[in-house]
Amino acid sequence: MNITNFLLNLLQGGLGNLAAYLAAHVLLCLVPAFYIAGAMTALIPKESVTRFLGRNTPKYVSYPAAALAGSVLAVCSCTIVPLFAGIYKKGAGLGPAITFLFFAPAANILALVYTGGVIGLDLAFARLFLSLAFGIGIGLIMALIFSRSDIAHDKATDVMFAGQSNKGMRRAALAFLLILVALLLSGTLKVGLLTNSYAQLTLPIPGVDRFQDFLYRLAPYNAAKGEEGVTAQGAILIGLLAMIGLTSWKGMENIHAGFTRWTWIALGLVGLTLLTAALGIQPHAGGLDILFTGKFFGVLLALGVLGWLLRKQLSEDEQRDFLWESWRFVKQIFPLLVVGVFTVGMIRVIIRPEWIEALAGQNTLLGNLAGVIFGVFMYFPTLVEVPIAKMFLSLGMHRGPLLAYLMADPELSLQSILITATIIGRQKAWVYVFWVALFSTLAGLIYGSWIDGTSLGLLVLYLALFLAALAGVLWWANRRNQSRAVAQGVTTD
Amino acid sequence: MLTIKVLGPGCANCKKVEAIARQAAETMGLQAEFIKVTDYNQITGYNIMSTPGLVINEKLVCAGRIPSPSEVTTWLVNALS
Repeated sequence: MNITNFLLNLLQGGLGNLAAYLAAHVLLCLVPAFYIAGAMTALIPKESVTRFLGRNTPKYVSYPAAALAGSVLAVCSCTIVPLFAGIYKKGAGLGPAITFLFFAPAANILALVYTGGVIGLDLAFARLFLSLAFGIGIGLIMALIFSRSDIAHDKATDVMFAGQSNKGMRRAALAFLLILVALLLSGTLKVGLLTNSYAQLTLPIPGVDRFQDFLYRLAPYNAAKGEEGVTAQGAILIGLLAMIGLTSWKGMENIHAGFTRWTWIALGLVGLTLLTAALGIQPHAGGLDILFTGKFFGVLLALGVLGWLLRKQLSEDEQRDFLWESWRFVKQIFPLLVVGVFTVGMIRVIIRPEWIEALAGQNTLLGNLAGVIFGVFMYFPTLVEVPIAKMFLSLGMHRGPLLAYLMADPELSLQSILITATIIGRQKAWVYVFWVALFSTLAGLIYGSWIDGTSLGLLVLYLALFLAALAGVLWWANRRNQSRAVAQGVTTD
Repeated sequence: MLTIKVLGPGCANCKKVEAIARQAAETMGLQAEFIKVTDYNQITGYNIMSTPGLVINEKLVCAGRIPSPSEVTTWLVNALS
């Protein structure tokens, strides 16, 4: 095989993968997800959740609250880390802090939506529920293992968390967030009402089918490899995305100095992109068929309401913060996602399915462990773990080890471990890494068995037995710690 | 001379706050010392829940969001008096 052919193959692989990820159905979930993340960061007051994370809050409140905080308050590490440090040092302590630290990267809104849209809803839900169970579990375990040092740092009195008043969300802000979710759902739910088309328009543009053929030659459609190829619709969407990038740079980057024309043009383009993605577009010899699907009308309606809410009901501060935060996520994540997806497409050409199948084709302990180890040692930017997981899936990895990888990767980059270590110390940080690796493997094994057909009831039973055993060990260890502490004359909570 | 501290690890928001603060100080013709605090142990010492944070002469004026240039100007004026 000569080198030019090989390089061409790589390039095609990269482009093909990129095209698949910029396809209509992915954009309909990714673009709203960025705005939902922006809305959560900008519009949900942190006090509404963190007031439950005070020092004296009972455990059955602080742990779920920590998980809730992780899911709605934090998407990027610049929110996760300070909040983690605050909860640990001045709030509910190591346990809830660890639960928060675990849950935020594992099950934040962007990650879940993207996983659901690209790989499948089943994996997104698995990611959510198992993260919840294990997040709280790891928090409890860490709190117990390190209870002595936890008590020691309890001394400093601080009411930073518990003393907060309930600054709830304004109704308009809440409505805005909910309609954003509705926008996401109307674009992505595979329900007959939304996927059927209700009207059709044919644009007599000659030569569109030749354009389509040209695109297929550039990035071929290869179902076996999971490459979807570029459709005419895809090409239009990519063009629109590029325009959004350019206009947003002019309109959003300096939004704190004020809204400009470019701000509204950029927003208009976003709406146009979503509407284009919601249409069915089929080129043929005579022209372009445009199908007005149910989701087109759903998206149109949602966009209308959102526009009205944005302009008329949200305060100027809220508008500005929302637009800035959404743009910040796009700036931070989207370029890395494009590069990551392209690279994954190239790597895909090189890796042989046999290797993956041999290692992780079945739901074995080794397979799940391999998924976790790969996630630990390979650092990928936020969201890029999803295309990589999809690649492994198409190469033959079983869904169990896939979940293990998906859970371990966002948690355990070297960088995040180092930062965590500066806050809680190296010993605690590495113990945390161990438990995350263990639980990710376990999560993969559980989910994999369910996929393989083990009954849900049996799995719930196994999980319950495991958690009960764990709880028993922890309760015994706690009793032993307490009696030891009493013997040493240290007062405990 | 005012001491202005920007609390944050260097992400986009903290850089934005620093840029706005510098701009406001420059517009006022103010001499100010800018310090970036990136160590989380120091940051939590100021009782903020999420970065970025803005501290003027050891007083926390803004936490967890990006202020507008006019707000920063007001704080600078207050700090001077």
